[in-house]
Amino acid sequence: MHRTTPLFGTALRRLRRFGAALALLLLPTLAAAVPTFARQTGQNCQACHAGGQFPELTAYGRLFKLTGYTLGSRTLPLSGMAVLSDSRVANTTKSDDPKADFAKNDQLLFATASAFLAGKVTDNFGAFVQITYDNYASQSDDGHFHGHTNIDNVDLRYADRVVDANRDIIWGVSANNNPSVSDVWNTAAAWMQYVPVPSPGSSQFVDGNSPYPGFAAGGNIAGLNAYLFWNQWLYVEAGGYRSATGIASFMSAGVDRAEKTRLQGTNPYWRVALSHDWGPNSLMVGTSGMHAKVFDDPLDTSDPSTLHRFRDIGVDAQYQYLLDPHVFTAQVAYTRERQHVPAFLADQPVTDVNGNDLPNTNVFDRTNVLRAKASYVYDAHYGGSIAFFNLTGTTDSAFYDPTRVVGNVSANPGVRGFTYEAFYTPIQYVRLGLQYTRYDKFNGASRNYDGAGRNASDNNTLFFYVWAAY
Amino acid sequence: MNAERTFALLVLLAAVGCANTPRSRDTGNPDVAGATLAAQVCSNCHGVTGSSRSPNFPNLAAQQPAYLTAQLEGFRTHSRTDPAGFEYMWGLSRHLTDGQIHELATYYAAQTPQPQRREGKAERIAAGQQIFEHGLADKAVPPCGSCHGTDGAGQAAFPRLAGQHADYVAKQLTVFQRTNQRPEGAVMKTVAHSLSSDDIAAVAAYVQSLQPR
Repeated sequence: MHRTTPLFGTALRRLRRFGAALALLLLPTLAAAVPTFARQTGQNCQACHAGGQFPELTAYGRLFKLTGYTLGSRTLPLSGMAVLSDSRVANTTKSDDPKADFAKNDQLLFATASAFLAGKVTDNFGAFVQITYDNYASQSDDGHFHGHTNIDNVDLRYADRVVDANRDIIWGVSANNNPSVSDVWNTAAAWMQYVPVPSPGSSQFVDGNSPYPGFAAGGNIAGLNAYLFWNQWLYVEAGGYRSATGIASFMSAGVDRAEKTRLQGTNPYWRVALSHDWGPNSLMVGTSGMHAKVFDDPLDTSDPSTLHRFRDIGVDAQYQYLLDPHVFTAQVAYTRERQHVPAFLADQPVTDVNGNDLPNTNVFDRTNVLRAKASYVYDAHYGGSIAFFNLTGTTDSAFYDPTRVVGNVSANPGVRGFTYEAFYTPIQYVRLGLQYTRYDKFNGASRNYDGAGRNASDNNTLFFYVWAAY
Repeated sequence: MNAERTFALLVLLAAVGCANTPRSRDTGNPDVAGATLAAQVCSNCHGVTGSSRSPNFPNLAAQQPAYLTAQLEGFRTHSRTDPAGFEYMWGLSRHLTDGQIHELATYYAAQTPQPQRREGKAERIAAGQQIFEHGLADKAVPPCGSCHGTDGAGQAAFPRLAGQHADYVAKQLTVFQRTNQRPEGAVMKTVAHSLSSDDIAAVAAYVQSLQPR
């Protein structure tokens, strides 16, 4: 139990709940390859996905997406995907209630499944719609987990291309529900995550909870972006996102009302990238950003003074070397986020568990996330990667939480560590992976981050998965 | 709401855009011209004018039309079964009509090949030139130029090699040498039989260095 001054306890609980809800929204969704696209083009998955490591796209895959998923011939636009996983946390004893904190530790689980409705519709129009079932989406008071289905990534595109010996102009419009899901480089916030990840209910420390550069608005919102790819060199995209309501409510179908992101007005998103391909090499350097005004309580959008105002700006770069049978990729992405906290949550007094005063809560919070990854795949069968992540941010007493295991007594959000992965793809529809995430810092500290003796390294997690799609 | 109106407009645009044959990427529509497919589909790997950036994919500019036709038919009928063939080309060629194949072959044959970089040490390229022009008598390897032309421009079913990516040439020579995955090129199995990996690397480096004439 944590204690705060009674007057401000409610406000702080709301801030924490808001943070938890945002964290859930920012959790990587389980997007990956879509075999229906392979059926549409008749090609192997690796034509579009570098070495078959999903969802990273090759130069060809990027053009396939930017031309609106319209290359090929129409086919049954339906695919399915399922994930079996087993994850093991390094230390499950430093906990008041291990059965609750590590409920599904070291158990082989049917974690998630997705259905995809994806493919060419007309010469200019194509769709990518993912619906995901999470078998461990929520847990009731009696400890039982419950499954839940909701819309995942949506990207509906209209695209056209004027190309001859002198010019190559691809332009289009994307209606989507997740900022940067329309992007074609793997360093985009929506795509850089490792896939698959176990559901949070089955393991809370595995890679899915390690930080990724992203946009505070998260998913399940409704956006309309226009883009241009000029001579396969300059990419520009701009658009705006609103709450997924009215005709666009399908963009958040199945998401609980209390967990939906509710935005005020239209929130701008932009993306600029320079791309250059030479020989087997491909390099991209880019930047992107978004301003978002997010209501504190999705169920109450009546008061603009409850808005969290976010400004995210990121830079990213990707290098690919693709020459059969070798695939090497290096990626780096860095995002700076500034949050203007709503007045009713800012500058509030907080006391720690011993009744000592902490500094008042912040008016502004800043978060910086760096993630870098290098991967190699041989013959589209054997692969491995190493990734580094480092989240730094302002200390804010609002983050103070002496709850065991998940708490944060430093009131600093910092997380730092590495993820290592090895995988084997016996056939292109099945992948077996073994992943290890190592935390050097968790919730602002290397040691005793929860005030009850739990160290960052206690959260190190081994994760095994079997992924299948068809 | 503006967003709703824009979304409705998007749906309308999609409906209006049902048929866009002059700029279609539909590989299953027999009405799409070969030149359109070349620009909208094939160019993604082979370049708009048949000069590919990545050595994973062969240059097609000025390629012999008879050779191109035979390859596309081989992909379509699945008689060519090397990995580069079936992974990328079986699907794209599965619905092509004879007319589209003819148009594609004509399109690429008419393109101007781009000069390629010389890659590799001068000695290796010289060794490749020796094989290309004179063969290897001790290994019963005939000169490549006797069928592919002394300038490597190819003739009829014998493909153009001049300016082809060395990596692609080396991989295909290995396919010919070690497999029966390209039955239309069965003669190459005999030719390549005795080539060492150094010989293959040398001749591949040389043909890439051959400048267009």
